[in-house]
Amino acid sequence: MPDPVRVGIAGLAVTSALGRGRQAQLAAVLGGACAFTPISRFDTTGRRVTVAATLPDVASLPVELAVAIADACTDAGLGRPQRASTPLLLAVHGGPEIPRLATGLAEAAGLYQVLRIYTAACVSGSSAVSAAASLISRGELDRAVVAGGYLVEPDQYALFDAGKALAADGVARPFSRDRRGLLLGDAVVAVVLEAEHRSADRGHQPLARLAGWGRSGDAHHPCQPAPDGRGLARAIEAALLRGGVEADQLGYINANATGTAFSDAAEAAALALALGDAAGRVPVSSTKSVHGHALEASGLLELVITVLSLAEGKLGVNAGYLGPDPDCPLDLVLDGPRQLAAPYALSLNSAFGGANTALLLAAA
Amino acid sequence: MTAGLSTPLIEPVIRHEAWWWAAEDGPAPTVPGFVLSSFNPLVAAVAERCLTEHYAKPPQPPSDRERTGIVLATRAGDRVSAEHVRQTVEAGGRLGPLLFFQSVPNSILGYLAARWGLAGPIVCISAAADPVAEGVAEAGVLMADGDADEVLLIVAEQVAGDPQLDCAHALLLGWPAESLASSRFALFSKEMA
Repeated sequence: MPDPVRVGIAGLAVTSALGRGRQAQLAAVLGGACAFTPISRFDTTGRRVTVAATLPDVASLPVELAVAIADACTDAGLGRPQRASTPLLLAVHGGPEIPRLATGLAEAAGLYQVLRIYTAACVSGSSAVSAAASLISRGELDRAVVAGGYLVEPDQYALFDAGKALAADGVARPFSRDRRGLLLGDAVVAVVLEAEHRSADRGHQPLARLAGWGRSGDAHHPCQPAPDGRGLARAIEAALLRGGVEADQLGYINANATGTAFSDAAEAAALALALGDAAGRVPVSSTKSVHGHALEASGLLELVITVLSLAEGKLGVNAGYLGPDPDCPLDLVLDGPRQLAAPYALSLNSAFGGANTALLLAAA
Repeated sequence: MTAGLSTPLIEPVIRHEAWWWAAEDGPAPTVPGFVLSSFNPLVAAVAERCLTEHYAKPPQPPSDRERTGIVLATRAGDRVSAEHVRQTVEAGGRLGPLLFFQSVPNSILGYLAARWGLAGPIVCISAAADPVAEGVAEAGVLMADGDADEVLLIVAEQVAGDPQLDCAHALLLGWPAESLASSRFALFSKEMA
C-alpha cells in the first residue's frame, strides 16, 4: 500500500456570531468575548430560554453558504480549472430540499459535483472533513471543498428549548461547576482540503495540516453519551495513531463540551481514557462557550478556530467558568489566551446517537 | 486524476440485506421514545430484520461489533416530524420534549447501536440521487479508512406522506474475504507492529 498523501487546509472562509472572517473569530475566542444576546431574529415568546449567538444582518443560509464556498476557493487560490475538478461535501440539517441546494451551490461555485451531503447532527461537518481527508490521503481526490452551515432559526430552537437542552441562566459554561446547558450559535464555514503535494505544485502555502482523523460510536443510548467516554476515546486514539502523534505532542484541545452536565463529564472521561496522564496537562477549551453550538456546522467552525489558534500560537478561552467540577479534571484555558507550547491540536465533536469524531491538526 | 470519485477502490460486498415494505409488511413496530412519525420505526424495523436474519440475536458477542458502523441514507428524511415541528412552531404551539432527540436521524441509529453493540462510526447522509450507491460509497470510505470493518447501511423513505408507502432497505456490508487483510488502512497494522 502506498504511503498516505498528506492533507493540508489550503483555504477557508468563516462567518459566525463573532463576525465575518478570520480575525473576528480569533479576536473573540482569544479574548473570551461571548456573542450571546437576546434573540431578535424570531419570536421567542413562551420559550424557557431566549438567548443565542446570532450575527446581525445575516443573509439566508443558501446565500451565506454560496459566499463562503466562493471565498474559501479564492482563499485557497483555486482558479476556474481547479474548481472544475473539485467536488463539494456539504454539512447541513437534512430535508427534502437539501440535495437541490447542494447541487445549486456546487454549480454556482463552478465546482465539479456534490460528492456527499452529511446530515449527522453535530458531527456533520467533522464527518465531512474526515471523509474528504480520507479520499485525499488515499489518492482518490486531489482536493475537496467542505462547507457547512447553521443559522439559528425557530424550529431547531424550539426543539432544543422543549428538550430543556438550553442553558437556563443564559450562559454556556463548558466543564464548569453549575453548568446548565448549551446555547445555539450561527456558523457558515467552508474549507478547502488539498493534497499537500498539489498545493506545492501550484506554489500555495497551506494554513495547516490535517494530520489525522477518527470516527466512532458509543453503542450506548439514542441521545446520551457513554459516561465512561469509551467511544470518543477510540476516535481520539484513531486520530493520533493515524497522525503518528503521541499525547504529549498535543498543545491544545478544542473540546466538544457544550456546557451540558453529563456530556462534558463524559468527554473529560474520554480524554483521560485516550490520553492517560497527559489529559490533565494538555490545555483545553471549548470555544462553544464564546460562539455557541452551531450544530451541523460546529465541527467546521471549531476546526477553523483551531487552525487559526495554531497559526497564531495562542489558545482561546473557555468562557463562562464558575469553578472546578471534580468530574472534569482538565487544564482549562480560563483567564486569557495562552501560548501554544506543542505543535498538534485536536478538535473534538460528538452528537446524538453516540457519534464521535476527532480531527488532529498540525501547524503548517 | 478523476474528480469526485464516488466509489472506493475496493467495493464492499453485501453480507446480508433485508427490506421493509409497509404495503406488504404492515406498519413498522413502534419504538419506545419515538413518537408521531413512522420514519424512525421504519429505520429500526428494517435494521432489526437484517441484523436478526444475519446475526440471530443481539449482541452475539458485542465485542465482535465494535468496528461495525451505521450509515443512514435518505432523500427526504423524516418528513412527518419536520412538518409537525414547522406547523407547531408557526402556530405558536408547544413541542413535546421527545421530538427534540428524534429531530435528527442520529438518534434512532444510537438506539440500534446500543441494542446490537455496534460501536463503529455513525453517519447520516442526504442522498442526492441514488441512496444505495451513495451509502455504499460512504461505507467504503469508512471501511477503507480503517474506522470500520463492517457497515450496516440503511436506506429509508416516507413516500408522499402515506405511511402505507413507507419503504426501507438494509444492507450489511463488509470487505470481500480475500481483500480483508490488505484493505484496512495501514493505521491498524502499524498499531500491531
